[in-house]
Amino acid sequence: MSVVKPDGAAAAGLGQSELGDARAPESAAGPTVLRMLLGTQLRGLREAANITPDRAGYEIRASRSKISRLEHGRVSFKERDVADLLTLYGVTDAQQRARMLQLAQQANDQGWWAKYGDVLPDWFETYLGLEQAASLIRSYELQFIPGLFQTRDYARAVTVLGHRAASAAEVDRRVAMRLERQRLLSAPEPRVWAVIDESALRRPLGGREAMRAQLRHLIEVAELPQVTLQIMSFERGGHSAAGGSFSILRFAEPDLPDIVYIEQLTGALYLDGSEDVDHYQEVMNSLSIEADTPEESGKLLRRIIRTI
Amino acid sequence: MAAEASRAADEAPEPGSAGAPDFDTSVAHIARVYNYWLGGKDNFAADRAAAEQAMAAYPDIALSARANRAFLRRAVYFLAGEAGIRQFLDIGTGIPSANNTHEVAQAVAPESRIVYVDKDPVVLAHARALLTSSPQGATDYIDADLRATGAILAEAARTLDFSRPVAIMLMAILQHIGDEDDPYAVVRDLIAAVPPGSYLALSHPAADIEPEKLADLASRLNQMMAQRTTVRTRAEVALFFDGLDLAEPGIVNVPQWRPASTEEASSPAALWCGVARKP
Repeated sequence: MSVVKPDGAAAAGLGQSELGDARAPESAAGPTVLRMLLGTQLRGLREAANITPDRAGYEIRASRSKISRLEHGRVSFKERDVADLLTLYGVTDAQQRARMLQLAQQANDQGWWAKYGDVLPDWFETYLGLEQAASLIRSYELQFIPGLFQTRDYARAVTVLGHRAASAAEVDRRVAMRLERQRLLSAPEPRVWAVIDESALRRPLGGREAMRAQLRHLIEVAELPQVTLQIMSFERGGHSAAGGSFSILRFAEPDLPDIVYIEQLTGALYLDGSEDVDHYQEVMNSLSIEADTPEESGKLLRRIIRTI
Repeated sequence: MAAEASRAADEAPEPGSAGAPDFDTSVAHIARVYNYWLGGKDNFAADRAAAEQAMAAYPDIALSARANRAFLRRAVYFLAGEAGIRQFLDIGTGIPSANNTHEVAQAVAPESRIVYVDKDPVVLAHARALLTSSPQGATDYIDADLRATGAILAEAARTLDFSRPVAIMLMAILQHIGDEDDPYAVVRDLIAAVPPGSYLALSHPAADIEPEKLADLASRLNQMMAQRTTVRTRAEVALFFDGLDLAEPGIVNVPQWRPASTEEASSPAALWCGVARKP
């Protein structure tokens, strides 16, 4: 998708650009978004040099699909590959080469989740990287309280449901990872804007007492300045998300498209084509319009707690 | 408009029923077209096509939109700072971007109270979710058409004290009120409701800056969007400030209104703007 490039004219003034925040991607973004940035730049250079993915793949002893994965930031870069690609694309400027090689190096740094490798599938590791790099996360949840908002007891109940054969120790590890992930909410970004179906609030996972505690926690989380919570109450009839739960991640970097994330039982879908993103954005906007407002949602939550 | 109003009355969904009124991504919408010019990502294929069409007529439209956004920031900074205003009625909110009215005002004075008004459901959903107040101040959101001044003023009174000065913000919105709907009466009604010491801040696409390109721009937008655009001359824009005391430098193209840097001042743009005090 094409994006209007910020041009010096708007970026002056009080020292902030008109769009996005002013943070330097190198300092704040996680490795995933750095890979995406590097991949986007490499794709631009390749296209400008009029070189096919096959030719580029051949240069680094790989396939065209490897080039596609690299350019989408899905896999990590070897510095040698980046150097070879830059040469192939005719990039000779020493400074530009050094900058991109440094980006490749930083993009290979590990995230906080590296220590959970034993219980963390690859497809979810990607999500954790994106989540940490996002400036705005919008999500629709049909069945469960979103992971970022779960209490320990609720998270444990959900984990046991999904991993019936897991040992107590493994369940502990998974719950610990989920709680560590919630440290995301101690930073001003990302903004998290969730629409939760009322059924997720009514189903007492972990028992009634645990569920009441979970809903009280939800009220507290919703009061964080960067969190917005809307409930799709039973009063709202058939609504827009016929398909099920999904999230849309937005990045401050103007060149990066939104990414739609759809979790499945044994994997996940990541969509970033403009037609897909448009469709999910449309559904998400309809959901936000149809759901109770944030203010109404807070009141509804308090009413639901009394009935559980 | 009469037709649109009666349709809305006939087909208004019952409270609590499903349905997303007026959210149709197959037709370009001005809030999303503007979002595209600002470099935002809250737009759809039809919006991008219309935005590109407009850019073909007037290539500087994206920079012009950014310059308008920069004027908004400087105007609010002036109003909250130098002018000491603590209440804002921002009509035509648009999809949130950087430096939204409450952010600029509350950075100067955290107790500032801001009411956002828009009639687009997507804008309102975004505003309720993302344009949230500092703990010391307040923000509220009103679903209304600019022409419904009575309803706007009545609902705004939930949050704003109309016995104290209010800044009325009309940033690049009056071009969507055609002459047949008397935009001057709309502004007069709003000004009449606020006490002396209140302010009007507005910007408006110009008919007499790069006139051929702007005429082409307006006609292309009018073919592609439900919201009509009427560009106006400096003299026509000056009439909105009738009876008010214009702050320096008067009515100028948006980059020239107290620019914060030479870079900001030199941006291409084609919108008249001004900030004026009610005596």
